Amino acid sequence: KARGSSALVLCMDVGFSMSNSEPGQEPSFEQAKKVIQKFVQRQVFAENKDEVGLVLFGTDGTKNGLAEDGQYENITVHRRLMMPDFELLEEIESKLQPGGQQADWLDALVVCMDLLQEETMGKKFERLNIVLLTDLNVQTSADQLDVIIDSLKKARITLQFFLPFPVDGEDRADGGGDGPGPSAAPVRPGKGLSRQQTQGLEMVKNIMTSLEEEDGLEEVYTFSDALQKLSIFKRIDRRPMAWPCHLTIGSSLTIRIVGYKAVTEEKVKKSWAIVEAQSHQRDDVKRETVYCLDDDNETEVQKDDTIQGFRYGSDIVPFSKVDEDQMKYKSDGKCFSVLGFTKQELIRRHQFMGSQVVKVFAARDDEHAAVALSALIRALDSLKMAAIVRYAYDRRSNPQVGAAFPCIKEKYECLLYVQLPFMEDLRQFTFPVLENNKKFKPSESQLSAVDALIDSMMLVEKDEDGESVDVFKVNHIPNPQFQRLFQCLHHRGVNPDDPLPPVEPWLKRDLERPQAVSARCQTPLQDVKTKFPLKVVVKKKEQKTSADVFGSSADEPDAKKVKVDEETEFNLAEIAKGNITSVGSVNPVRDFCTLIRQKTVSFDQACQQLTHRIEQLLGNRSPEYYMKSIACIQAFRDQSVSSGNAELFNSYMQSLKRSVPDRNLQELWDLLIQDALTLISKDEVDGSTFSKQDANQFLAFEQKEEVQAAPVQEDTGDVDDLVSVSCLFGCFNDKHIIYYICECNSDLQVY
Amino acid sequence: MRKRRVMAEWREYYQNEDDEVEEDEEDSGGAYKISGRDSLVFLVDASKEMFIKGEDGEPSNFDMTMQCVRSVYTSKIISSDKDLVALVFYGTEQSKNPRNSFKHVYVYHDLDSPGAKHVQDIDKLQGEKGAQLAEKTMGSGETSLGEALWCCSNLYSDIKLRLSHKRLMIFTCRDDPHVGDSAKDRQARTKAADLKETGVVIDLMHLTKPEGFDVSLFFCDIVSPPEDESELGLQTEPCRKLEDLQKRVRAKELKKRAQSRLTFSLGEGVNLAVGVYVLARTATKPPAVRLYRDTNEPVRTKTRYFHAHNGGILLPNDMKRAQVYGKKQIVMEKDEVDEIKKFDDPGLVLMGFKPMERLKLHHHIRPALFIYPEEEQISGSSCMFTTLLLKCSEKNVFALCRYIPRRNTPPRFVALVPQREELDQSQTQATPPGFRVIFLPFADDIRTVDAHVGPTASDEQVDKMKEIVHKLRFKYRSDAFENPMLQQHYRNLEALALDMLAPEPIEDLTMPKVQMMDDRLGPLVQEFKDLVYPPDYNPEGKPAAKRKPAESGGGGAEKKPKVEMSEEELKNHVEKGTLGKLTVPVLKDACRQFGIRTTGTKKQELIDALTMQFSK
Repeated sequence: KARGSSALVLCMDVGFSMSNSEPGQEPSFEQAKKVIQKFVQRQVFAENKDEVGLVLFGTDGTKNGLAEDGQYENITVHRRLMMPDFELLEEIESKLQPGGQQADWLDALVVCMDLLQEETMGKKFERLNIVLLTDLNVQTSADQLDVIIDSLKKARITLQFFLPFPVDGEDRADGGGDGPGPSAAPVRPGKGLSRQQTQGLEMVKNIMTSLEEEDGLEEVYTFSDALQKLSIFKRIDRRPMAWPCHLTIGSSLTIRIVGYKAVTEEKVKKSWAIVEAQSHQRDDVKRETVYCLDDDNETEVQKDDTIQGFRYGSDIVPFSKVDEDQMKYKSDGKCFSVLGFTKQELIRRHQFMGSQVVKVFAARDDEHAAVALSALIRALDSLKMAAIVRYAYDRRSNPQVGAAFPCIKEKYECLLYVQLPFMEDLRQFTFPVLENNKKFKPSESQLSAVDALIDSMMLVEKDEDGESVDVFKVNHIPNPQFQRLFQCLHHRGVNPDDPLPPVEPWLKRDLERPQAVSARCQTPLQDVKTKFPLKVVVKKKEQKTSADVFGSSADEPDAKKVKVDEETEFNLAEIAKGNITSVGSVNPVRDFCTLIRQKTVSFDQACQQLTHRIEQLLGNRSPEYYMKSIACIQAFRDQSVSSGNAELFNSYMQSLKRSVPDRNLQELWDLLIQDALTLISKDEVDGSTFSKQDANQFLAFEQKEEVQAAPVQEDTGDVDDLVSVSCLFGCFNDKHIIYYICECNSDLQVY
Repeated sequence: MRKRRVMAEWREYYQNEDDEVEEDEEDSGGAYKISGRDSLVFLVDASKEMFIKGEDGEPSNFDMTMQCVRSVYTSKIISSDKDLVALVFYGTEQSKNPRNSFKHVYVYHDLDSPGAKHVQDIDKLQGEKGAQLAEKTMGSGETSLGEALWCCSNLYSDIKLRLSHKRLMIFTCRDDPHVGDSAKDRQARTKAADLKETGVVIDLMHLTKPEGFDVSLFFCDIVSPPEDESELGLQTEPCRKLEDLQKRVRAKELKKRAQSRLTFSLGEGVNLAVGVYVLARTATKPPAVRLYRDTNEPVRTKTRYFHAHNGGILLPNDMKRAQVYGKKQIVMEKDEVDEIKKFDDPGLVLMGFKPMERLKLHHHIRPALFIYPEEEQISGSSCMFTTLLLKCSEKNVFALCRYIPRRNTPPRFVALVPQREELDQSQTQATPPGFRVIFLPFADDIRTVDAHVGPTASDEQVDKMKEIVHKLRFKYRSDAFENPMLQQHYRNLEALALDMLAPEPIEDLTMPKVQMMDDRLGPLVQEFKDLVYPPDYNPEGKPAAKRKPAESGGGGAEKKPKVEMSEEELKNHVEKGTLGKLTVPVLKDACRQFGIRTTGTKKQELIDALTMQFSK
């Protein structure tokens, strides 16, 4: 039974333009491959029953059913519709290579349609979907476009596009990301699109809007979107099972309804079997459960000689399965019966029980039921009330009491049903007073410190249009547990003898505080830190409980306790960030931030290591490293501001500026101007010697100055600069000889 | 009067995982272990005053106390059957205590875990007949609270078990029990002090008396000071109603315990300690125990793993974990399986804040938890916590946190919703101060639902429904509904334990009171139906009956003939990885047909077995 399964064709552009990339960015080919890989990985390990095909275009060869007379060339059907398996994963990993040709993506689309038609013949699929991944950078013929759109509609095939750039200039309302991560430089849309791409984009818009009107564009994603969210799955998601029932009010008012599980915790479905360690055979392990008396000899008894019982306090009552079934509570089947109506405010959010939310609609295609339910929904909504109902899923399940809230959306109306507690579920605990307790009463300054902290850590921001945007939508984050599990399974499947890989960095990043918020809250957090004395209580006698939580051994002598705690904290940071002892070249920003946070090396040292890397990057004199350098400079600045130490950063920036003409770093400097990465002013850090105005002017390179050798009169802060600069570079590793250009006294200093 | 039972069962509710092999209990990294047992002594005044009936047939104070004691007994039976409870009367004529050394003290139940018999004993003391029985067996006589307390302290010291929490509740309506006998007063104070010294907490559950109960006369020196100087200490108002008394007893009767204690990190090393409490959890029927048929004594189970070929016992190190995907078996160590779930150490990490309206009603996946500061772990936590609580509530925001409850558990995001303390009319805490922890769904937890779009109602139709809603409104209370399934289960056990002929019938509060609703609504229902339904519409009727499977022709009842699958076909399925499309019965038949041994009857297990067989 293939209820609700989907057929989907992944159609990826492997043409040569896909291998090009902007400096510092991953080529589109790699990004698209990752999207496909992640999608297939999930399909394989979640054991979905959907069938997936893979079509590549821009390949050197041609292999498809339509190729004839020079048409549909360079398009390869790599895999016909099949359930994705490990082989496909391995193939994508090893065999999916960039091609040297270009092919019309519209042609490829037709090939996919043809494939879908042919392969789904006689099989029942609920959804057919084609996913196109391309940079649109190819001449496309709009010939027969109408026919294509028409056939898509007729065959009820849906489309999704994944492009390297967003479809419209600005980010869509809910596309607000978490700010650019270190590697994902913001794509500047519109700019730099080729003629073909602009044309192609028009055609994409044309197709998508004619397929589903204004919503169509919502199915056009960027590669980075696809990696972060599960957008590719949206189209082929299995729809929850319909639960038809009757909503009843009293004995004679009945409305036909259908419920769907709308929110419920998705669990890992597959469990681990036990195998013998050497043979890896399941059959080699036998499991045996024996029953024994609770006597000294642990006398074994046969299962047949045991009966079922239940505890009733100190008594144990024999109660056979048969008797139990006979006497147990019996519900009279499926129901959704209103017990009464109550004010919504009397139902507290924290009283929600169970593990799901059910959306209740009127029965499909029953307009009378729709009107009746609509009347109820609207009445409840305007009275701010909810229905309390008895809910039973079916005859075998136990009844619940729950609340049905009205929910009115632009496009539809429904009831939202949530289970409420039974009296037996509640635990009444009384807690000591906090607010009016003299001991804990916060002072005015403490209150304002927390006030400022909250303001600086708001995860909802106003965008240019004054609309507030949620920058941390949990319901857009895929559960990291699955991603991690699939990553490890995949890795172990391919490399059976390797240790497990570390958690992928982007996955970690998803779980961290957004960078912008982190930066904003540094100062208020420091303020909170100084205003609230928080001290770990060292107990005379180590209690098991705290030891369990704080992870130290209970038997540690007292004296060691403090140290252990410190270590634990350090480990925590280390685990979160990987073991980082110096600023490496792969991800200098992350390393630098970690070093600062862990305080493994002094602030000065961390800065030295970072500038070392920046200089290395700039030394390459190739623009693609600029983005990385700029990210480093940004991090340098952020950390300096939060540590309240402006000196090192400012002097580095000054010397960098001076070296611009000689090193031909004009482009870099322009980027700094764009990002407004300037000196740290007094307004930001007390110790700074620069006013805000100084800082603002700093970036402006007068045209003349650029050409001329830097004038001497600018160097008023020379002596200070020299001191800090030399201290900055004082402890560089001897192995690296850094050419550091600085015209304080001489032109070139070698460290 | 309906007997109210408190049936609460707080066992951890585990989702039934497919394979009991795998989901070993989570490492209890953050779990809070306790040792020893809780004990509770009810010390009840049996003087004549206690038996005076209230006006309008209200139950006497004694009756009320007995009902309350009974509800504690039954709730202990269900929730914490290891706890010890005793019932002692003072001011009796007769004496009955272990060494019979105390006059006018009657130990009705010695410290013991309560069972069905105990409950039955209490039932005998209830109502008119109960009062007569009490008069006959115990009578009312002289009062010496000192002697009674002394006797109770002996009960505690006679117990050989380790007691973790000791509580004594005095139920009385006399504020001056010794009527001016200062020697007796003094003795009572001394004995109370002795008890308190050994760690016993003494509470007063004072009941109404006509002239009002004056705590300051005598009892203020007897009871324990409040746990915390600011805690609501003595309830100055005596209990008038059974509900109040039960609430008051219930609030004290359970020792509150944190599920775990965690660090709540705001960032930059600003850490406070919080306790995580479970204030609501789905109570489920406890699992059955196996009993030896001959003696009815419980048996234990032992699970062993051994090698299929050489029969040797397999130790944990001799086994690994595996999953099969398609034709590929992926093997990991047990440790690695755990490691995959590890992202960070247990704790709460602050991400930021959001306005309350961003907390969506339908973002619900689990019952909420509750957190409260732990000053004993990190000093200053309470102040920091209180400030956060005040400010979040003032600014109407919630805190978004990453939450890892125990070791090797993947993170979830939670909303910390501020909750300030609220008291009810009787000055009992209705909601405690702290943060509610609301679990938020990930993208995977939100399903795609194709909305049904249909016509909407007109104002007239909506207004008519408003009248209906108005007629059926009531004040919802979270503790108003009992779980009929659990109630029935325990009534059954009770009946069996006490050899009753039939269990006491339960009242199913989850059933709609249809008659009452119809009466209240009167003609409104018909009026509404006339507005929304056409005359020939029958909502009860089945919609166009489901299409019969195609070509089934006339004969409805004939069963599908069993189709045996050829090896060829099976192999084909295995190769294409499409076994999953076959139904469980077909897979089972296939296994049977080719004599393939399976580890279970779950679909995946069948598929795995077939795959192993045919991909060899």
